[in-house]
Amino acid sequence: MNDKKFWFTLGGIFVAFIIYWLLGHPFFIEERIVMLIAIMLAAATIIYYINKAKRGEEISLRTIPGLKAFEEAVGRSTEMGKPVLYVPGIVDMDQVETVAGVIILGHVAKMTAQYETPLNVPVARSIVMKAGRESVREAYIMQGRPDLFHEDMVHYLTDDQFAYAAGVNGIMMREKPAAVFYQGKFYAESLILAETGNSIGAIQIAGTASPAQIPFFVTACDYTLIGEEFFAASAYLSRDPKLVGAVKGADVLKVILIGAILLGIVLRLFYDLGWVNFDILKFLTVQ
Amino acid sequence: MFWKRQIPIAIVALVGTLTLFGWFVDQPDIKSFVDDDATQWYDILASFAIFLGALNLLKLQFQKIIKQKKGWQYSIFAILGFAFAFYAGFLGRGAYTVNVNSVGDNPEAVAQLLAEETETNIETATAVLDLIEDGSPLMLEEVHWTGKSVNATADKFIASGADVEIIPEQWSGGAHLTRTGSLFNWMFFQVFTPLSATMFALLAFLVASASYRAFRIRNFEATLLLVAGIIIMLGRVPIGSKISSWFVLYVFVLLLGVMINTWKKNRILTFATVGLGLLIVTIFGMSMGWPIDRPGFAYLPKLQDWIYLVPNVAGARAIMIGIGIGVFATSMRYILGIEKSYIGE
Repeated sequence: MNDKKFWFTLGGIFVAFIIYWLLGHPFFIEERIVMLIAIMLAAATIIYYINKAKRGEEISLRTIPGLKAFEEAVGRSTEMGKPVLYVPGIVDMDQVETVAGVIILGHVAKMTAQYETPLNVPVARSIVMKAGRESVREAYIMQGRPDLFHEDMVHYLTDDQFAYAAGVNGIMMREKPAAVFYQGKFYAESLILAETGNSIGAIQIAGTASPAQIPFFVTACDYTLIGEEFFAASAYLSRDPKLVGAVKGADVLKVILIGAILLGIVLRLFYDLGWVNFDILKFLTVQ
Repeated sequence: MFWKRQIPIAIVALVGTLTLFGWFVDQPDIKSFVDDDATQWYDILASFAIFLGALNLLKLQFQKIIKQKKGWQYSIFAILGFAFAFYAGFLGRGAYTVNVNSVGDNPEAVAQLLAEETETNIETATAVLDLIEDGSPLMLEEVHWTGKSVNATADKFIASGADVEIIPEQWSGGAHLTRTGSLFNWMFFQVFTPLSATMFALLAFLVASASYRAFRIRNFEATLLLVAGIIIMLGRVPIGSKISSWFVLYVFVLLLGVMINTWKKNRILTFATVGLGLLIVTIFGMSMGWPIDRPGFAYLPKLQDWIYLVPNVAGARAIMIGIGIGVFATSMRYILGIEKSYIGE
């Protein structure tokens, strides 16, 4: 889709919505219009940059040390002749972090296939086990090493949080992996896992969108992907222009958001001073 | 390929769009799909998938034992634990109770026995017997795992002349899983919960070792973390409110001296800064009469509040906004079918 088509489509959707609105907008919850506009704008921004990237525009990604260290960690495991342990979080596939974790697993599996390093992926949910297996299988096939793949690389332990932590700790203590990846959604077990990994001297790379667990991972791991870096990992590792475009779109969204926050502060100040009769907070509050 | 690629991507796009825009639509069917049906479908799928997980777990543990891999002894416990949970959940409901239907000819003996069995006094037991006489059978609270145990209790009441009935726990809705005293309930609260609590309790020790590493003074950021940590910890305990803000100011002046010395490495400058700082603090303290909670910015309870509510919240919100945008961009990639690696490249 070129720029002309993009603007034409966007304009079409806008005109269609205006017509719908003028016709009395049946079934639409009016109070949520601000949220809808915000979503549409955000989506349009991301799609715009994806299209730009698809057309071949050069987009540079800043170096993220944690992502650069992925290959180093797998390489270290290969040199030491020890396995790589990958923990994709403790929640199910209905969480976007787990999906992101399974996608990153695919990239790590490509590296382990390339270096012929054993990979061990204990999971806490059966559906994650199936999705993880597919992802790893694809990676090994793509690297031309289906012979190295076996289904039990991705295996189920238990659904329970602390039983899972105990199981993964047991694997760490017995197998002594040289590299441990924590990529997904974690709760209180994060520090139990990361400290055990630290005690066996493994190089540890964590990535999560759980804000409460970030300090624990920062303390106990060698590298931590914080929030958005975790979601950019797939783009960074694959260098797929479409994914890189989406990351660029998210960055532009952040700039727009900073502008909106500053504008909001000014408008709120004016409202408090009585200079304008428009309460931005009331306008932006999600109903 | 069509069934494994295009169809799943189409389902993701359709359900994703419906879920996203369903929030703006006031239509009961769409609302019920977004709020209830879609999540229930997922729960149903996940419930069936648990069999795959359980079978995989058993297969690996058996393989470990057969091949005598490293740590195979633990696998025996895993299999036994699984078998016991299976037995307690599906086969050995083990929840027999005794119903006392009528008291018989010797109410005093039954009351005495009831008082012993229910650990109450004789008056309460007699009052309960009156209710039984009025036609309300009494179900004894104690739940027995085995037929032998329940028969023993029933025999005691029969020997006292009471008419009793043994009631096995019913299957209805898996009631035996939550029934106090059942085998499964015992396993859950007496074995599983303490084991989970043990793992959770490890966290306290791990936090200590992690804090030690985080608070080691290696660079400026670690020092800042250490100082902020000390202020937060002291400000949140009663002793923090007893520490005068003037003492804190003196400490700040000394810390400033350390920083200037590290930065400039100049003794005279460091001495002048520390000396001047101490003098200013002393002059202000004497002129204000050394109040414990003023100036407020150096009073630990207020200072920790500020650190917690301003820089901490600002940092946390910045991370949250980043995460929010990341989640949105990732979701858009799935909905638009740009990111397909979750079903293979």
